[in-house]
Amino acid sequence: MKELLRELKIKIVEELQLKEVNPDQLGDDTPFFDRGLGLDSVDLLVLVALVDRDYGVQIFSRELGEKVFITISTLAEYIAKMRKAK
Amino acid sequence: MNKPWLKHYEGHVPPSLTYPEVPIDRFLSNTVDRHPDHVAMSFNEVHFTYKALNERVNRFAHALLKLGVEKGDRIALLLVNSPTYVFAFFAVMKLGAVVVNLNVGIHGEELARCLNDSGAKAIVTLDLFAQGVYAVIKNTGVKTVILHSVFGLEKKMTLEQGVPQPLVFQDVVASAETAEEPAIRVLPREVAVLQYTSGSTGAPKAATLTHNNIVASVIQSETWVGISDAGNAAVLCVIPFFHVFGMSACLLISVLKGYRMVLVPRIDLMDILSLMETLKTYKPISFPAVPSLWAAILSLPPEVAREHLSSIRVATSGGAPLPRWAHERFAELTGRRIVEAYGLSEASSATHFTPYPRGGPLDSIGLPLPDTEAKIVDRETGNTECGAGEIGELVVKGPQIMQGYWNNEALTSAALRNGWLHTGDLARMDQDGFFYLVDRKDDLIISSGFNIYPGEIEEILRKHPKVRDAAAVGVPDRIKGQSIVAVIALKSGVEADKQELLKYCKDNMPDYRLPRAIILKEEIPRDPAGKILRRMLRQEALAL
Repeated sequence: MKELLRELKIKIVEELQLKEVNPDQLGDDTPFFDRGLGLDSVDLLVLVALVDRDYGVQIFSRELGEKVFITISTLAEYIAKMRKAK
Repeated sequence: MNKPWLKHYEGHVPPSLTYPEVPIDRFLSNTVDRHPDHVAMSFNEVHFTYKALNERVNRFAHALLKLGVEKGDRIALLLVNSPTYVFAFFAVMKLGAVVVNLNVGIHGEELARCLNDSGAKAIVTLDLFAQGVYAVIKNTGVKTVILHSVFGLEKKMTLEQGVPQPLVFQDVVASAETAEEPAIRVLPREVAVLQYTSGSTGAPKAATLTHNNIVASVIQSETWVGISDAGNAAVLCVIPFFHVFGMSACLLISVLKGYRMVLVPRIDLMDILSLMETLKTYKPISFPAVPSLWAAILSLPPEVAREHLSSIRVATSGGAPLPRWAHERFAELTGRRIVEAYGLSEASSATHFTPYPRGGPLDSIGLPLPDTEAKIVDRETGNTECGAGEIGELVVKGPQIMQGYWNNEALTSAALRNGWLHTGDLARMDQDGFFYLVDRKDDLIISSGFNIYPGEIEEILRKHPKVRDAAAVGVPDRIKGQSIVAVIALKSGVEADKQELLKYCKDNMPDYRLPRAIILKEEIPRDPAGKILRRMLRQEALAL
């Protein structure tokens, strides 16, 4: 899980070009939205694409998205769970 | 005038069109007559036929009449894509009143300025945005607030004395005594919509659009991408109706043709996730989107993107140039081309389109639409026409061009000269009449399809107690077209870290205006006249 979290942080910062964010200093519980990373809806779709492309996990519904895209750690947990289920 | 573009028109597009002399709401009544049982819109699990839609529109129109709304009154809509927007838009049209189209991302002083500038008498909004409306209402002339109650938030609000009590949209509609057509004669030359758009000074300005302007624009676009025998096909309405691109390509073309609007509201961020399910469920034939949305969808694994995009016959991109890679990816996946549209609020929507279905040269914004003249003029005086390949300012003329800026003679005479709209975009035209955008004459930043003037960001940054001076510039972004970099000079003797400043931005700006990076500097470089040297700052921002 630790490795997945680290990898996800690097990928998110790179993919979204978050120039003020150092992935090593990013807390596991950093929220994606509002006062966390401050992402917008297009960023969210980019994250959806990243998770599908790099981990083969699809998050295409609002209900699921609300549970998964809270913090980096909730996203990592879901990816890990889905990988195990495969 | 030489129009080299005409020879590149597709066979189904004539050089000139006939425009019906009718108010916009005639689109709705004609479709109700022809296809009363076609589904007009789907919103989550709720569906309305055209007949049911028209009945609600008429009821709301009668209710507004009872509330004292008269012809010519300005009615502000602060709404996401939802049935309420559609009911309110057409009700206002049928009364000969004027829709004031507001971006739901604006609040505070900016919202107050739009309401005051337009002289809005009433506002229709959601309970979710009510707090923002009531925060400024005392400083405006708004006398009636109609809230669509989604979460019942109106019951929990504490209102100051002297402000109008909110009326619940559902109750207002129910209070109407009839669903008959309102007996009001609306002339096509009258004002229909005030379309607010960013101003280079930070002050909002409204393009004044008549029924004639908007009807012409819709007919031009519909003819260009005309699809025959599409029946009750679905159009995916993600682009907000409060933007001219959404109003034309999603709302009005659908109503004109009797299509089913599939409404994606975007109240909050998570709404965008339903997009993928919606594509699969409704299999839309038309999907107008901004480049950032196309880029995000086309970043999905190819087989997933292909599956979701397979039904789309008309894929349109507008608001900013679509990156070349997105064009190529879409063509690889679907065998079709994304049609690029170029337009602006001042032109009711589009002035240029790349040919449909063939497509145009990559990087081109396409050809002027029927009855639209376009030329490139020298950027200093605007008086001399440039030759093919030369860069200058793009100016356009046609039946879709606005009457002027609402109550703003000075801005109107600067933008509209001898009937030509000066777009502020630097462009060139090739020998075949295809146009290409090169840059902006001013410092406009276009991010995710939103027009953002640096002044709008700088004004807010300068209000931070630790900030002495600030500038904002746009830098290229693969998905969003451009992203924003803020350059900040702090007051002497104070310290602030970038995270603190970013948090301040998040608290005080709509999402689409948030800087993605901050550069701290001792001084913001300015020329002797005090003008920010943006080119220099852009170079620094690019090096980040």
